[in-house]
Amino acid sequence: MQNREYIKTKKLKEMQENPRFLKRVLIGIFAFYCAFVVLFYFLTGDQLIYRESRGEQEMPAATAGTVELYQGSDVTQYFMTGVQRLDSVSVLWGTYYRANAGTVTVELLRTDTGEVLMSGQFAAVDIPEGGTTTIYAQQPIEGLPGVELALHITADSAPGEAVSPLMDAENPSTGGLWLNGEQTTGLLCFSTAGTDYIRAGLHYWQLVSIVGAVLLAVLVFAWNRYQRGRQDILAEAILAVKKYRFLIKQLVSRDFKTKYKRSVLGVFWSFLNPLLTMIVQYFIFSTIFKSDIEYYPAYLLVGIVSFNFFNEACGMGLMSIIGNSGLITKVYMPKYIYPLTRVMSSVVNLAISLIPLIIVSMFTGVHFRKSALLALYFLVCLILFTLGVVLLLSAAMVFFRDVQFLWNVISMIWMYATPLFYPETILPDQFKFVLQINPLYHIIKAERTCILGGVSPDPVVYVQCLLMALAALLIGALVFKKTQNKFVLYL
Amino acid sequence: MSKTMIEVNDVTMRFHMNTDRILSLKEFVTTALRGKLAFQDFTALNHVSFTVKKGETVGLIGHNGAGKSTMLKVISGILEPTKGKVTTHGNIVPMLELGSGFDFDLTGRENIYLNGAILGYSEEFLKAKYDEIVEFSELGDFIEMPIRNYSSGMLARLAFSVAAEVQPEILIVDEILSVGDANFQEKSRKRMMELMSGGTTVLFVSHNLEQIREMCSKVVWLEHGTVQMVGDTKEVCDAYEKS
Repeated sequence: MQNREYIKTKKLKEMQENPRFLKRVLIGIFAFYCAFVVLFYFLTGDQLIYRESRGEQEMPAATAGTVELYQGSDVTQYFMTGVQRLDSVSVLWGTYYRANAGTVTVELLRTDTGEVLMSGQFAAVDIPEGGTTTIYAQQPIEGLPGVELALHITADSAPGEAVSPLMDAENPSTGGLWLNGEQTTGLLCFSTAGTDYIRAGLHYWQLVSIVGAVLLAVLVFAWNRYQRGRQDILAEAILAVKKYRFLIKQLVSRDFKTKYKRSVLGVFWSFLNPLLTMIVQYFIFSTIFKSDIEYYPAYLLVGIVSFNFFNEACGMGLMSIIGNSGLITKVYMPKYIYPLTRVMSSVVNLAISLIPLIIVSMFTGVHFRKSALLALYFLVCLILFTLGVVLLLSAAMVFFRDVQFLWNVISMIWMYATPLFYPETILPDQFKFVLQINPLYHIIKAERTCILGGVSPDPVVYVQCLLMALAALLIGALVFKKTQNKFVLYL
Repeated sequence: MSKTMIEVNDVTMRFHMNTDRILSLKEFVTTALRGKLAFQDFTALNHVSFTVKKGETVGLIGHNGAGKSTMLKVISGILEPTKGKVTTHGNIVPMLELGSGFDFDLTGRENIYLNGAILGYSEEFLKAKYDEIVEFSELGDFIEMPIRNYSSGMLARLAFSVAAEVQPEILIVDEILSVGDANFQEKSRKRMMELMSGGTTVLFVSHNLEQIREMCSKVVWLEHGTVQMVGDTKEVCDAYEKS
């Protein structure tokens, strides 16, 4: 009879605990958001506000020399720049293949005020044929777009031992190239570098405050509805997690325990598997792609770990409904539990396989910066995306058993359509669109930028990846919800 | 005093099914193209209503295809009725077919927790009940062994113990009382009786009228999806035998 009492007290306990739990979770969600926003601000650093400018002048291909630049001669290129914060200007030189002497002076001026923005002097003897000299601004110079600039080059060399800036004679420059006071058609071989402001980044705190306020409103609204005893999706979802967390824990631990149950190395395989794949791919592809890619082993591992997770979760998740048909036709529990736990089991695996990634990265000389932590954000996107795909596949599988065979082919195509072991640059232009429409490409690329590049990707990438993940999740969840009542009939 | 535990209110379950189960995309496309994608309405339950009070043991009888299993599925929430409503008060525990909630690579202990979780019990409850379950199953030290090494009798005992030892509020039994050796059968029968007298509401499906007569306090006789008769065990069983 103690059971009966137990059940009664359990119900009472639930009635007391549920509001408390709900409140804790709702507050937790908001606290998490606040913490994330602040952490994100510090981790992204400058990348949040500036990005590499889209208005940079690329170095044109040299087709001719300008003039021999000796004492008294000068080369001036007038131009406008789209760079919002100009850092540096580089000039390309020809030497007539001889040893030269003297000093060249490169200056960047505003034509309206005549103010010298940056300048530099270089010994001509140090300039090799086809070499560049770069002048830097002490501080990034702002306010230049829309202003006419002049790149003015002079020297004090004697004729016969002077260098010459190169030009692209076929390129009609818009600003005008003046050689010794005469206008010439052609564009001086020079390049500019700098950064642009990211508008969203500048207003970061305003933006996150607005999103935070909306979030807070949603949470308070959910809480109010729950208090008044009305149905609320958010509150129900949270309480369902509480109700089924023991079950989820048991199912995940079952998947995990049985996966390596009868193997000698056990869990170690989660660790070893990506490592071995990486080594094999490294030996096969290193001669082809190695020179193009920095930190090639780590580059491979990021791709392997991410894609393996996706592939494993989908391959297994596919069977999650029909594989549990014995239970589904007998016991009531929300059916999404099965695909969900399947993905969660793969997440455990993913977490373990991050260890070899970290170790290999350290051994191959990758400098972990604070941005590496941001890769976690993209892993979360990857998990959400995968969950969406798994929901879709597991539901489709119930009605059409061909899905598993079809999926084998699709996942293979998907693997080759994602730059896992090759650099994305080898794709011909007409196939570039394949990458653009492939969410895994965006996610894996962002992870690589965070871990290997040591910088945060452009803020727009965060939004892009999250939206793709949420879209997949939404589609998967909708299809699953719509069809789940029919599952029993087809099992 | 006697609270209504299950209320089946005018439940109709209609399946809108393909004439033959099409499970491949190719079949689907080809039959759809040939215009032979015929659907057939099949009414498994037709305006069924009855109530079960707390502590009652209700037997469901009827010939094959009468809708007994569908009725159980609707009650336990696995199937959503097309029309009508089922209201239940309390947790429903189905006594699972042998091994359906089990993982054969796990040990008996792990399976008790897994199965308990599937049946909707909380962690602390299972921890408290664990020793009793093991004791009832008579498995002894085998409980730490992977259950793929179990004999079918041992499996059956484990399954029954998990379902019966936790004392659910509503227990659904679909013809599985004949497990184990004679000794264990007797023990499980006694346990069932205990549960019933202890206030558990039991829904019981069987073709074995003797069992029904012995255990049930009320019988629902289903025929072709409609309720033929509801009432006292003896009356309904006698009528059923005559038909």
